[in-house]
Amino acid sequence: MAAEPTIEAVGLVKHYHAGDGGVVRAVNGVSFTVHAGEMVGLLGANGAGKTTTLRMLATLLKTTAGTARVAGCDVRHDPVGVRQQLGYVSATTGVPDRLSPREIFTSFGRLHGIPPDELPARVDTLLRQLDLRGCADRPAGRLSSGQRQRVSLGRALVHDPPALVLDEPTNALDVVGSRDLLLLLGELRAAGHAILLSTHRLHEIETRCDRFVIIHDGRVVATGTRDGLVAEWIPDRAGELEDAFFAAIGRQAAGAGGGP
Amino acid sequence: MRLPAHPATFAAALAIARRDLLEFVRDRRTLVVTLLLPMATYPILALATALGLRTATHEIEARMAPVKIQVGLSGPEAARLAGLMQRVLESTPRGERGGWPAAVELADVTDADAAKLLDDGAIDLWITARRGLVADLEASGTVRLPVQVSADRPAGANVREQFVAFTRSLGRQAARERVRRAGLPATLLDPLDVVFEGDRDGGPPVQTQNVLSTLAGGVLVLLTVLTLTGAFYPAIDAIAGEKERGTIETLLIAPCRLIDVVFGKFLSVVAITLATLVANVASITATAAVALRSLPQGVVATLPEGTLALAAVATVAAFAGMAALAAATCLAVTTASKSGKEAQNTLTPVILLVSAVAGTALLPGMRGGPLLAAVPFAGQIVVARLALGTAAEPPATVATIVASLGISLLSSLLFTWLLLRLTTHGLADEDMLFRGPDVAGTAFHRPVRRARPNVIQAFLPLVAGFAGLWYSQGLVPSDLVQAIPLQQAVAVLLPLAAAMWWQRVDLRGTFSLRRPAEGLGSTAAIAGGALLGAGLFVVGAAILLAFQGDGISTEARQLSARLVSLIQKQPWWLAWTLIAVVPAVCEELLFRGWVLAGLAGRPKPGGVPWAAIGIQAAAFALFHLLPERMPQTFVLGLVLGTLVVVTRSILPAVACHLAHNSMPLAILGLAGDVPDLARMVETGEAAGSGRLPGWIVAAAALAVVLGGGLVAAAVRRSKFSDHPRSPLP
Repeated sequence: MAAEPTIEAVGLVKHYHAGDGGVVRAVNGVSFTVHAGEMVGLLGANGAGKTTTLRMLATLLKTTAGTARVAGCDVRHDPVGVRQQLGYVSATTGVPDRLSPREIFTSFGRLHGIPPDELPARVDTLLRQLDLRGCADRPAGRLSSGQRQRVSLGRALVHDPPALVLDEPTNALDVVGSRDLLLLLGELRAAGHAILLSTHRLHEIETRCDRFVIIHDGRVVATGTRDGLVAEWIPDRAGELEDAFFAAIGRQAAGAGGGP
Repeated sequence: MRLPAHPATFAAALAIARRDLLEFVRDRRTLVVTLLLPMATYPILALATALGLRTATHEIEARMAPVKIQVGLSGPEAARLAGLMQRVLESTPRGERGGWPAAVELADVTDADAAKLLDDGAIDLWITARRGLVADLEASGTVRLPVQVSADRPAGANVREQFVAFTRSLGRQAARERVRRAGLPATLLDPLDVVFEGDRDGGPPVQTQNVLSTLAGGVLVLLTVLTLTGAFYPAIDAIAGEKERGTIETLLIAPCRLIDVVFGKFLSVVAITLATLVANVASITATAAVALRSLPQGVVATLPEGTLALAAVATVAAFAGMAALAAATCLAVTTASKSGKEAQNTLTPVILLVSAVAGTALLPGMRGGPLLAAVPFAGQIVVARLALGTAAEPPATVATIVASLGISLLSSLLFTWLLLRLTTHGLADEDMLFRGPDVAGTAFHRPVRRARPNVIQAFLPLVAGFAGLWYSQGLVPSDLVQAIPLQQAVAVLLPLAAAMWWQRVDLRGTFSLRRPAEGLGSTAAIAGGALLGAGLFVVGAAILLAFQGDGISTEARQLSARLVSLIQKQPWWLAWTLIAVVPAVCEELLFRGWVLAGLAGRPKPGGVPWAAIGIQAAAFALFHLLPERMPQTFVLGLVLGTLVVVTRSILPAVACHLAHNSMPLAILGLAGDVPDLARMVETGEAAGSGRLPGWIVAAAALAVVLGGGLVAAAVRRSKFSDHPRSPLP
């Protein structure tokens, strides 16, 4: 594993002004790292701050305090550089209905500055890699949810970024679609991509992620491997990641602080 | 893969534009509505117009067409009169029968049955030829010829006009006979024979009316609306549509600046807008080529020779600028929307508003000069009309057209750039992008209690007030005793009360309801404000007299006359209340209270919100409707705004406004001593000398300086140096 993390969040803070004049502390000092060839799961309940954290990493939201780096580019000082190094898949599928997968990959390839002579080959590679050749020229609006999610992933991969950030990528997928997508992510990890994905469907990623970061109320309450988290949070009995997760956020909710 | 550090800016924008265009072209329904439907409507519109014109022409022709007139003649000299008429009918050359009926049929009737024949329609007119009628015609006087028509079935205007034309020939015939019997030459009746010379082809065969400018005016406004509608759907799709489909984030994480994304969106929208414009221009031209062939006789629609090319180039170039402006406007307006539906709701009133602005280009004064070409959405029509000419004026010179076009294009470019920056700003707004179902509509939501209104809310009572002011013009009575309270209520108090209730602001903070200083300082600040107001009125009047002279509108003079009448006829306390107290209190609460508080935001120590003061002063000036009063009310608005900001109290401003409006009453009281000033107040125009007495102006200037000094001293001595902090947001 490389010494320098590909994705590094350092004390990320995001506060919003609420409609009633108060301040919402959506993310409150989140730090973690993801290295090349590593897949990290960002876990948390709804409203825990997962999406806000990922959006700050993707430079879609400005940080209130703290910073993050992607492949050495700082989100505050070099947001364009970050976007060049990052593939981001939002919680919505984010696929234009009237364009085909080939057109979507081509347009985003142009946007990322891929030379015109290399672009068709790159698009063909992606279509093959994502098993989209059969529907490469069909409007995305007529694709299945699984195919659309793969198109979304392909769009994020078109410039072959070292870092990949996915916000609840399996939400709209059935069991088969989820398994296919996670297998694909496994292949990308094996190819050396640093992958950070958020989800609250813990059982799907329990055995697929290398490490997990559990956040609750905008704070990191636990980090570690599956076995490490289980041992740390439910030491007195055998359990699953879900048990460790509930123990971590339950302890936090009970006011026990950020660790056991 | 080798990727450039950042894709070139223009390449990124172009990539986004290509993607958006491809998406738009795939959306067949929108494509049809935007591009094809307007094109299909032109032939229908042209057909309807042609049919309408033809029907109108037929009606006019039918009214003008010669008819057969049945004339019943009775009385002792009926036969002699009939003989005279018959001779005229037979002997008048065809060329002298202008306006004649197709035929005149004469019938002998009796007085007993003539009325029944008239009512039955057997005859149209009945003349009783009295004894001596023909002899009188042969003599030298003017003969009165009564013609009876039916009370139940009165003869139409065409029958009357044509019979008068016939009897004119009868009279002319009688005149010729008189001249002949007097032994005078027949030319006595035709002293002049005017002949036009110099025409190679003998001049125009018939009188023609050129309707090009009238048609062009309507078509240009229609083209403006169509240009806007051309940008309507693509702009909605470009940002609000992306948000609705959840694809906007994928663009915002593209490795380029936000302005590049916006510029790419703009390129695609402007491309479609231009395509719509071209399609519409082509359709209008083709339709006009067909429709203009069927213009009624004597009506043409042509440009002077040699001006067509320049007019076409100037119009197309100006409207290309408008296409860019329309695209940028629609993008800026829809940026805050989260869905297509919300964007449509926001954009539709803007389109209507902009169309109204475009319509102002057809007002007579809008052809005045090239600077008018800078007005967005109206300037482009001004350029086109300069190039095409109007019914009253021929096309402008080449230099004027080129200068106007340049100004119009520069203005379009500048406004487009500003709007794109605004769009970028909106797109960068995290609240607009991610939070809430309808951020654009928050101005209309009832908020929680807050210290002061925000910028949008600051304008809401103003907009309602302007609307109230405008609509109440036709409703208020002419009597100022009723009109002033009613207008202040409709235009100021009601909108303000509604805004106060709806927005739940802290009234004390918003309206600066506090003493300006402690103890004597308070009195000094209020007295200073009053001196400032009184002095400013006289100084403003002196400037008006010196520079405006006779250029004061009828409306301004009428208002002055009504105010003077109010002052002279009503008890002084009532006149003072209506002219000074009510406006001073109501308008200060609205402009220096609500509007200024909303625009200025949270007070910053040592900071003066000049922009807010300027904007509220401009709104205050506009509120007084009459252009002559706007410069003075603008300056007064600046002073009043500054007074509130520096003293953090509304009281000196109310005193200033009160003193300012009280001056007409004071001056009329001194009318005998200062006739020039009194005349200015009475008539609203410059007096004979054109200037006020020097001592009056000097005293007023001294009052301004003294008033300013008093306010400054009061503020400096004030212990309220810290800004009061509201616990509310």
